[in-house]
Amino acid sequence: MDDQQLLRYSRHIMLPELDLDGQEALLNAKVLIVGVGGLGSPVAMYLAASGVGSLWLADHDEVDLSNLQRQIAHTTDRVGQPKVESAAQALQALNPETRIIPVPEKLEGERLQELVENVDLVVDATDNFGVRYAINAACVRAKTPLVSGAAIRLEGQVTVFDAREETSPCYRCLYDVQEDEQLNCATSGVLAPLVGVIGSMQALEAIKVLAGVGTTLAGRLLLFDATRSEWRELKLPRDPDCPVCGNAR
Amino acid sequence: MPTIKMTSHLYRFFPHLKNRTLSTPPGSVAEVLSAINDQAPGFTDYILDEQGALRRHVKVCINDTIVIDRKGLSDLVQDGDTVFIFQALSGG
Ligand SMILES: [Zn+2]
Repeated sequence: MDDQQLLRYSRHIMLPELDLDGQEALLNAKVLIVGVGGLGSPVAMYLAASGVGSLWLADHDEVDLSNLQRQIAHTTDRVGQPKVESAAQALQALNPETRIIPVPEKLEGERLQELVENVDLVVDATDNFGVRYAINAACVRAKTPLVSGAAIRLEGQVTVFDAREETSPCYRCLYDVQEDEQLNCATSGVLAPLVGVIGSMQALEAIKVLAGVGTTLAGRLLLFDATRSEWRELKLPRDPDCPVCGNAR
Repeated sequence: MPTIKMTSHLYRFFPHLKNRTLSTPPGSVAEVLSAINDQAPGFTDYILDEQGALRRHVKVCINDTIVIDRKGLSDLVQDGDTVFIFQALSGG
């Protein structure tokens, strides 16, 4: 690290839990963020500010006026631009040292697998179950840790699936949802700071996994109820019959 | 008696269960859900499918551990336990 970096990351480095080694780990880290909307915005901004070395941003959407109420990486003058380009501008302004790789595609199949295998960690910030299953399966195959978050209306959920651990559950152990049961922000609404709360938790967990700090949420699911400002912690066991990570696969 | 709690969103469909302590006799998860249905008719239609399994977007926890057996609903809920019911979220 040069003097500028030592100054930029000084408030991290002075944390004994993180120290120089932890910051070095962040600077060398490669992270894929899928979805650069309500959750992906704070995740990407905190990871870039924290000095994560390389960020792949995947999203095939464009910035819409109705996104700006909560998707804080985007701005009014960038309505109509691809979200990954808009977010890349925000992140480069925040930290020019972070390498941003925009992926303006709907990630699936081999392309998804290839990207997941290439990174140290994946953040799921998407808005539909189909993509969540595909990301989960790719992470289980590649043994890449996955930080998963969701937020809608006044409720949020966040957890970590760490396929490097033999006993770790996966997203499919938790949910097996049909597409027609899906709710999204366009039809259900979402309170702006809720995505900030959950997205910030995802960024926090990502940093902990990457820098080896503390105890992550692996094996635990946090639920947040914004109406009561109440957190609930649930233990999430691995499902031995899970079609993705179970014994029968 | 076990105590039953659920996410705010579920209370929107069963508003008369809100702001009161809900409890049922102990028994299997299936029996507990059935006892909730006695107090809130339509409840099991909302969270169980035609085969009596938990709908795929619904989760039940006993004392903060998520129940994995969503088909048989055989896990035992005992006196003093808390059952918590919530749903999958996808929005990002
Ligand atoms: Zn699994």
